[in-house]
Amino acid sequence: MDVAASSEESWKTMFPSAVLSLCHMQVVACYRNLASCVGGCTDSLQLRDDLRQTREKAQKLAVSTCQHLTSHLRDKSLPQEQRRELELLWVAFSSSLELLHVDMCKVFSMGDIFCLANTTALVQTGLQGGGSEVAARALSLPDLNQAQTPADGLENQERSAMEKEISQIDHMIDDMEMKVNVLRWMVEPHGPQYAEPLSSTDSASLALLTVDEEQPGHQPLCQRSRIFVFLLLFAVVLVAATLSVCVVFFS
Amino acid sequence: MTVIFVLVLFSYSQIAFCAALIFQSVSKATCWHGDLCPLPAHHTQLISPYVPYMQAEKVLLEMQDPKKGVKSQPQRLVITTIPHAITGKHKHKHTHTNTLLNSCSGFLSSEARSFGSMLVALGYIYPLQDHKRLVIKPDASLYRFQTPYFWPTQQWPVEDTDYAIYLAKRNIRKKGILELHEQEQYNRLHKWMNHKWDFIVMQAKEQYRAAKERKKPDRVVFDCQERAYWVVHRPPPGTVSAMDYGLDRRVDPNANEVTVGLQTLLFAEMKRLFSSNMIRSDMIFHFSCRLVKYCATYNSHDPFLSKCLPSNPWLTDDVTYWTLNMPNVEIPTKMRVERWTFSFGELLSDPRGRDDFRLFLKKEFSGENLAFWEGCEDLKWGTAVTMREKAEQIYKTFLARGAPRWINIDGKTMEITVSGLRHPHRYVLDAAQTHIYMLMKKVSKHTRRFVKDKLPHDALNDLEQNARNRRPSLSPIILRQQELEQRAKMAASAPVDITQLCRFTTPVSHLAVYSGFTDSPSANASPSLPFVAPTPVCPSPISVALDSNSASERRAEAGEGEAERNPEARAPAGGNVLKSRMALSLRRLLKRGCSPSTMFASLSPKGQAAAGTSRIQPLCPDQPSQAPPRRTGNFFQIKVDIPPECRIYPIESEDEEEENRASSRGGVGAKEIICPWESLTPQNGTG
Repeated sequence: MDVAASSEESWKTMFPSAVLSLCHMQVVACYRNLASCVGGCTDSLQLRDDLRQTREKAQKLAVSTCQHLTSHLRDKSLPQEQRRELELLWVAFSSSLELLHVDMCKVFSMGDIFCLANTTALVQTGLQGGGSEVAARALSLPDLNQAQTPADGLENQERSAMEKEISQIDHMIDDMEMKVNVLRWMVEPHGPQYAEPLSSTDSASLALLTVDEEQPGHQPLCQRSRIFVFLLLFAVVLVAATLSVCVVFFS
Repeated sequence: MTVIFVLVLFSYSQIAFCAALIFQSVSKATCWHGDLCPLPAHHTQLISPYVPYMQAEKVLLEMQDPKKGVKSQPQRLVITTIPHAITGKHKHKHTHTNTLLNSCSGFLSSEARSFGSMLVALGYIYPLQDHKRLVIKPDASLYRFQTPYFWPTQQWPVEDTDYAIYLAKRNIRKKGILELHEQEQYNRLHKWMNHKWDFIVMQAKEQYRAAKERKKPDRVVFDCQERAYWVVHRPPPGTVSAMDYGLDRRVDPNANEVTVGLQTLLFAEMKRLFSSNMIRSDMIFHFSCRLVKYCATYNSHDPFLSKCLPSNPWLTDDVTYWTLNMPNVEIPTKMRVERWTFSFGELLSDPRGRDDFRLFLKKEFSGENLAFWEGCEDLKWGTAVTMREKAEQIYKTFLARGAPRWINIDGKTMEITVSGLRHPHRYVLDAAQTHIYMLMKKVSKHTRRFVKDKLPHDALNDLEQNARNRRPSLSPIILRQQELEQRAKMAASAPVDITQLCRFTTPVSHLAVYSGFTDSPSANASPSLPFVAPTPVCPSPISVALDSNSASERRAEAGEGEAERNPEARAPAGGNVLKSRMALSLRRLLKRGCSPSTMFASLSPKGQAAAGTSRIQPLCPDQPSQAPPRRTGNFFQIKVDIPPECRIYPIESEDEEEENRASSRGGVGAKEIICPWESLTPQNGTG
């Protein structure tokens, strides 16, 4: 019973932190995907707006995860296993926070260079679609704090807000390092070395994509050879058909 | 019938074969083999040298202009078309015709090509086919612009975490088949970033899923972009990376530095580095101060660190600087002369400086010192075969008692040197050489005006003159020949040594001792020992007079001496000539009306003063062991103990006395200087 109670307790402790840090990682991934579009031909007010919303979401998640993890790790009475788990989460969270920080800085400076007013200067990167699906994915994650801020269209306000947020993340990282001493080299990961390949529905599109990548140089040749093969096949089919007709006819 | 059946079967097998072919072409069959890759260097967060990112970015943005920029075309893949692909040809056309771009206007197509290659190598444009070779090809191969997120920048260094995430994503996508170098990198990163590995794998999955939200063409573009980014920043083995700029610096090499700032920076750096208690920090600090001082002194003289007048020959095609600074130039440049003031070694090492110093010493009647020093250098750096000969000659010329160009070193050094000369080796004359070097250094210090004189009018005005008289530069071989010729010339002409003048000024006792040789040792054999008339070693009143700063007296005596010397120099050398020569000189002296008495008078007080103080043994031929006169504090001053009875004597009897003595001491008188290790005669004493 003790074991059950303790495991339940640990689950209660761990679960929110784990969930939060996982969500945070997802949002950071989406943010990165959106950030790589800045300055390109798909850069638009919509994109900037998406970025802002994703960023705010990431910020909120970060704050709550930080609070959770810090409070638990500062708790001296934490059993050893839980501490180890939490340290793992801590390391993961701090890494994703650093990624977010770098991405935010990049977006900030690129926003400086690529002003949306001058659309001719945007780099033609070959992208066609906007990032709305990605943003939707990011924003669809559950949130502890459900309040949504209305979208602000003015760029200047956004810039100052962004600066503030960057510095906030900075402070958060510093605070984390100050308050909790996690020895990173002591942390042992659970997961596998190689990420498992995802579901098999990807394989077909993957195959096509890889065809595009690996043998683009052979494109014209492949096409030609493919046409030749088709012709050959057609001719052979024709011959076979006539032969079978002959067989039927003459037998 | 059977034939038809066989034919039908054959045709069906053909169909099957063709179908297999088609399937094979559709399915992927990749097999990458990479070499073992060296692990990439990871730079610390220091300042890296300048890379032309700003210019490249500017040009790149100009290229986006729909009207004036580069025309793009859609790229056709199997299932999709992706716009915004450019070809190499278009790029060239663009850079050639676009007049907006100041940097590109007027480019030749080869320059355009190299500029394009630079853009590709830096990662601003990536090739769509053959993605590993970052060059621009002037054909129809396609390229695309890289998104600004992946542009190279020095602000945010490339992180290993990102690379690990990328490799993990690639692993997911390619289902575990990575290139060999990628595989190795992956394993290495797994080892070093083990604590983060859960995060990396999770983040890779999340990024992969996020990317899947996009439409297919966009996904292809994203993958190409990221792959191109990592080809630039983590190049496959065996490729040259444009990101390779060497080591990061602590000091920004692009910022303008003030020398004062540099010094303080160096000081601070050294303090920081050597602040540990385990090292002798005071000593190291002292040395580092010297280093800094050296840097500060020579900073303005280095053509790479500061401006080089008239123009830097390493950067431009103008070789005036080298012509002006040739070793045998008539008028040295101001900078060169300034360098001579830095240290004595600097003066000596510069051949032009050495020439000037030689002339100066000539005027000061101490040319033998420099000649000795040069002889020692010759010995040190010469071939082993000639060492013995050279040592002998140097001894005979400079060190032996009665040597023609006797140098003035103290007794202890002389003892050491002469005893070392028994078994001559390369460094046997080191002590004496150092001694003489210090003497010369002191002289040069005392007479700084030697150098200061040269400074004002010589160089600046004649810089232009030199430019006008510019000769074509000579090859080193010719320069060396000239050097040898000059040496031979110097050897042929008699040295202006003060020692030659004292023959008629010193008492006979001295003469008797030191004139005991007939001939100059082999004026023919060794051009480096250039005297015709043997001169006794004597404490010249002129050198004594040097001490007292009576320049006029010196000049007068020198003038006489020189005039005297020249006719003597022309006289043939010969043992029996000595007597006549002595007579000749004395007669000449008498003709001049220069009474020896005055000279002796000038000599005597000093002699008397010295007699009491010096520990020199009276120079008499009877005593075999004789120490050379000891030098007291001052340079070139030799205190001679002149026995009073020898001081003044009638001139007429001198000849006879001389003859008597010469004949009595026939054995001694007739002999040459013998090197101590060759024979042990009593005259040569300690040897």
